[in-house]
Amino acid sequence: MRRDLELDAIIEDYLNGKLSAAEQEAFEQLRSNDPEVDEKVVSHKLFLEAMGEYAAQRELLDKMDQIHADMDVTGLSAKLGPHPSKIVNFWRRNRMGIAVAASFILLCSMVVENYLRQSKQVGSYEQLDRKIEKVKRSQDNLIRTVNSAAAADPEASLKPGSFGGTGFAISANGYVLTNYHVISGADSLYLQNNNGDSFRATPVFTDSQNDIAILKIDDKNFSAFAALPYTLKKGKTGIGEVVYTLGFPKDDAVLGEGYVSSVTGFNSDSIQYQVAVPVNPGNSGGPLLDNSGNIVGMISGKDNRPDGAAFAVKSKYILEAINSIPADSLNKKIAVSKRNLLSGLKRTQQVEKLQDYVFMVKVYKD
Amino acid sequence: MYKALNSSLPTDREVVLGILNNSDETLNKLYRGYFPMILQFILNNNGNEDDAKDVFQESVIVLYNKIKAGDFELSSKLKTYIYSVCRRIWLKRLAQDHKKTNNINDYEDVLIVDDDLEKHDEQDRRLKKMNEALEGLGEPCKTIIQDFYLNNLSMQDISEKFGYTNTDNAKTQKYKCLQRLKKIFFNG
Repeated sequence: MRRDLELDAIIEDYLNGKLSAAEQEAFEQLRSNDPEVDEKVVSHKLFLEAMGEYAAQRELLDKMDQIHADMDVTGLSAKLGPHPSKIVNFWRRNRMGIAVAASFILLCSMVVENYLRQSKQVGSYEQLDRKIEKVKRSQDNLIRTVNSAAAADPEASLKPGSFGGTGFAISANGYVLTNYHVISGADSLYLQNNNGDSFRATPVFTDSQNDIAILKIDDKNFSAFAALPYTLKKGKTGIGEVVYTLGFPKDDAVLGEGYVSSVTGFNSDSIQYQVAVPVNPGNSGGPLLDNSGNIVGMISGKDNRPDGAAFAVKSKYILEAINSIPADSLNKKIAVSKRNLLSGLKRTQQVEKLQDYVFMVKVYKD
Repeated sequence: MYKALNSSLPTDREVVLGILNNSDETLNKLYRGYFPMILQFILNNNGNEDDAKDVFQESVIVLYNKIKAGDFELSSKLKTYIYSVCRRIWLKRLAQDHKKTNNINDYEDVLIVDDDLEKHDEQDRRLKKMNEALEGLGEPCKTIIQDFYLNNLSMQDISEKFGYTNTDNAKTQKYKCLQRLKKIFFNG
């Protein structure tokens, strides 16, 4: 024990270079002769090296801790750290993701907007002819009949599709005005009055640009009307004029009342008025009258947005259309009424007189 | 963001010479100059002030060892080197804690410093073992050994400090302590 202690002290002094030259020589002699001593020297050397490194690192860390303690680390953190606001942080951390998401949303909204703009141009003007329910079924029937080739009862199964609008008489001898879009593509036309009587009619004039069609009642059961109670207004009608219409959005006549809200129609079309009158599919071709019983226009369509306005072809263009019909294509002259029998009457009396001259236009298409 | 701080940064050459000369002044400038950069990096990558302190001090130790070993080439910018070392250390810690290590916000260029850190890790393991051995020694051995090897007290001082009747008793005590410490250090 004593000897080991002395040996250790000598080894340490030897490694630290504290031995005198003579002592060192003697020790090296001992070391080379005794492997046990040599091993002790090697292991102690390793130990001292590790201890030295350890000491140096401890010292360095102590110094750094002192410097660190002197610094205003909290202040630096506030300046350099993440922003206290969660939103800003989120933005900083997910900048890339947000950018990608934003571009995606932008792209989507552009596509959707583009689509909406297209659909607005194409379809926001809704023509008010009524598709009568059986269309689809009857067409299906037709297809079925053809496919099965069982021509059991062609009269019953070949019911043509029906569309409906409104029309009104413009002369006592059986000329009726409606919209071109109501009758376009029709195979046969019937006019049904409020009493339920139907008359066959044929188109004698169409003007697709102004959406006007003139039909002639061509039915042996039809005898001339009594004198028309209304006149066609030649002049312009101003904003605010109270107007009403009678039409067939359903199987019975419906009155709609309102006022002229603009002197131009859809997309500022000067052929039409814009009117604040409730109209529905089936109202197309209905007469638009003012309080004095003058026809100021003909209902032709509406803006298809939920609270969209209605539009009516101006009477001026109706007159133009009537006058533009070549006289020789008519076998009877269109005599527009010059006497107004509605003026000064209450609305109920006006409608009562009017309804004999307003028809449901039934259109049969294959 | 570092425009203002850059003016207070010591030159790379100054740092290398200062470290070789064990200059406290250099250490002070180095610490104050570069710590904010690392603080910003750590704070913005899921760490706190203490993490920043640990990581930065570790990177200074790596730098000291490299410069003292004569390995540091002035061709790589000191700033870039420190940043790269800290970044590597921090990524490793994040991975150990199973935190996500993608999406790291970088503030500087990055060097490959894996070799230096491997050497450092080896040394770190050795010194951790030494630390554990010392802690496992218990009193009064721990203090005697620390006083003798770390604080460079003489056996005479130690004998007086611990109230030994003579220096030989103190030497015997130190011998026993050292034997135990070496046993733990080499075998533990």
